[in-house]
Amino acid sequence: MWLRVSLGILIPAAFVCAQGVQNPALTGEAVRSKVIAETNPFNTEADNQQGAALFQLHCSYCHGSHGEGGRGADLTAGVYKQGGKDPELFRTIRVGIPGTEMPAVRVSDDEVWKLVGWVKRLGSTGLSEKATGDAVAGKGIYAKSGCAGCHRVGTEGSDLGPDLTDIGRRRGLAFLTESIVKPEAFVPNSYRAVQLEMKSGPNVSGIRLNEDDLSVQVRDVTGNPRSYMKDNIKEVHRDKPSLMPSYQNRLSPKELGDLVAYLNSLKGAQ
Amino acid sequence: MKTVGSVMGSVMKMNKWSVRLGAVVFAMALAFTLSGQSPQGPVTSERLIKAADEPGNWLMYSHTYNSWRYSSLDQINPQTVKNLHVKWIFQGRHVEKFETTPLVANGIMYLTRPENAIYALDAATGRQLWSYEYRNPARTYNCCGKVNRGLAMLGNTLFMNTLDMHVVAVDARSGHEIWKTEMGDYTAAGGYAAPGAPLVVGDKLIVGMAGGEHGVNGFLDAYDTKTGKRLWRFNTIPQPGEANFGTWAGDSWKTGGVTTWNNGSYDPETNTLFWGTSNPWPDYNDDTRLGDNLYACSVLALDPDTGKLKWFYQFTPHDLHDWDSTQIPILLDTEFRGKMTKTLAWANRNGFYYLLDRTTGKFLTAKAFVKQTWNNGFDDNGRPEVIPGNEPTPEGNDHTWPGVDGGANWMSHSYSPLTKWLYVFAREEHRIFSKNAVPHPTTDEPDRPLAPGALPNAGAYDPALGGAKTAQVGAPEESWGKVIAIDPSSGNIKWEHKVLTPPWGGVMATGGNLVFGGTLEGVIFGLNATTGERLWTFSANGPVFASPISFLANGKQMVSIPAGDLIVTFGLD
Repeated sequence: MWLRVSLGILIPAAFVCAQGVQNPALTGEAVRSKVIAETNPFNTEADNQQGAALFQLHCSYCHGSHGEGGRGADLTAGVYKQGGKDPELFRTIRVGIPGTEMPAVRVSDDEVWKLVGWVKRLGSTGLSEKATGDAVAGKGIYAKSGCAGCHRVGTEGSDLGPDLTDIGRRRGLAFLTESIVKPEAFVPNSYRAVQLEMKSGPNVSGIRLNEDDLSVQVRDVTGNPRSYMKDNIKEVHRDKPSLMPSYQNRLSPKELGDLVAYLNSLKGAQ
Repeated sequence: MKTVGSVMGSVMKMNKWSVRLGAVVFAMALAFTLSGQSPQGPVTSERLIKAADEPGNWLMYSHTYNSWRYSSLDQINPQTVKNLHVKWIFQGRHVEKFETTPLVANGIMYLTRPENAIYALDAATGRQLWSYEYRNPARTYNCCGKVNRGLAMLGNTLFMNTLDMHVVAVDARSGHEIWKTEMGDYTAAGGYAAPGAPLVVGDKLIVGMAGGEHGVNGFLDAYDTKTGKRLWRFNTIPQPGEANFGTWAGDSWKTGGVTTWNNGSYDPETNTLFWGTSNPWPDYNDDTRLGDNLYACSVLALDPDTGKLKWFYQFTPHDLHDWDSTQIPILLDTEFRGKMTKTLAWANRNGFYYLLDRTTGKFLTAKAFVKQTWNNGFDDNGRPEVIPGNEPTPEGNDHTWPGVDGGANWMSHSYSPLTKWLYVFAREEHRIFSKNAVPHPTTDEPDRPLAPGALPNAGAYDPALGGAKTAQVGAPEESWGKVIAIDPSSGNIKWEHKVLTPPWGGVMATGGNLVFGGTLEGVIFGLNATTGERLWTFSANGPVFASPISFLANGKQMVSIPAGDLIVTFGLD
């Protein structure tokens, strides 16, 4: 089976302090000049919900509506290169990460704290939820359903679909369930499928690895990377962005729950 | 004319000091006239006016004052282009991409490398002659990368704008700084910057600025090319007491943006400078800035001697979509309704191609060149009939076309006198426009005291924090690009060459009847200018964020275009 998972890219840059007398809200002067609370003073449920709204406005463009990442880091893993303590998250949001695309988020301090609360909740999504199914049984369903033909768990499996080694840490239960029954609902760009209608010879289906106006590179269904010149392609079809079939009618509700429980149990290296 | 041999023979007869002096002068002459170019001396204002007569050089941003970005060189043509190959590469060695248009004079290429470095190269080999680096502060207020788009040149002096709002003059022979002038406080408001290329007109240097996302107050400046002294400033937002003041609600004019961040054009015949202006601020939230918001999203026709406004035309009154009108104005004489007319052709970010009478600013015609949903037509004065429902909304409006980056952006268009068509690398892009409310960055930062006379927080919105999202980042089926040939008098599209993604590179037409450009994936191409057929490609595999140039090195036509952090130069053999 092939799940849809965004492999968020953490922004790899060191924090660099701005110089000179500049707009303090942009440079982080204010952060350096004040003592930042050790724990989030705005962490009620209402604060978190306000943080969720602020997240949609200011963060979702890069980090995804659910923090799944994209142009910005995957925030659902609960792992942050700039540090995951409350003051560290506050600083990252308030100042940005100079040298990267992560800007200073120009909202009030109160609102930064509310964002901190929501970002931490996103980061715990994959950890805090308790699956109701039987993970052991789910492992059997995973094997029986041929999921390893496309996905990898640890050293087992293949690379046509996203690596599931720590999927339970990175994705919530609802997301996992939807991925199984409706895989086309969200497909990250790095796993979008194309169907190449060739001018001659057999057509090709695969994951689009790269493309320009001259050629397209795919990982075909055997897992091998291949490159095709567009001069030899009649048309590149993109209307079926997921290679993964829906398992809605292939699994019973219990089997689905068990499978989700198994996936939720995959936490990777701790 | 003396030959080199006879010159050397004369030199031998001089005393030893004269010989040494003569040798130095001779060596300097050689060093400053590389690649087999005939000595042409300093770049005079007369040469700039007649730049089209020097196809071997590229003396200003758009090659000529009419901004055709057209090279009459024809060695590379539909028959020979198949033999075009890389002659040399310049390694930028910088994390930021090139957005520069190099200049070429007397066999030397001058280019800017991010952030604000200048390199002089032998145009035939790419070998470096000298470099100059201007050091910006660690934090600058550029909206879209620490980039620079190029130089201007007069005499033996190069001119460059900087991200911290300075203009520098550098000796083209050595890279030594001659003067440096501060345009203004780059930290004022939400931050100013100057990433564009300046333009020399006569003995003046015309310089624009950026910051339209930061609540600045825009202007266009002219400086003395000799001293760096500011000669005039045109406020792109009319100030109290100036004509057209009052098109902004309340005090919103004070932070209305309206910047001048790209290059302009010049008509020597009428002594008129043409320059485009950016969006009004806040970009997607008009709660505090009702009105037409002059002179946002407009073209300004100015007297370059005084900076006085001759006329203006506003393409997008009361813009809500960040549709800057900072495209390069193209000046051409074309037949319009049976009459030869001095016109200004403009493919705008709002998705419409416009033709104006450049002597009066009168609107002549307009036609959409990409999908658009916002405009139902124009009245006789060229005012658009805006279709309701295309405004940004708090929940996000996903049915407005074109997208925030527009049908066209800053990248150069080109006009060929051979085909008499305008070439535009256009963008078909789908975006979501969101209207948000955040504290005003110039006045209501929680840790920043209010400036005297500052606006209260009126729920203004900072677009730098979002507001115009992509519907699906990177999915090819969502957006695409196309090189189009436009008949300038009618706006009709004569052909279209589709590419995978919306471009950030410009195009150049040539006397070889080709159109060169490059895609975001780094495919550099040569198209047949008559048919749009793709005749040649090169896979640079680095995003093209600039426009091509062409010049002669050792008498051979070359084509240069930046791709990623490289400058790639092609030749025939």
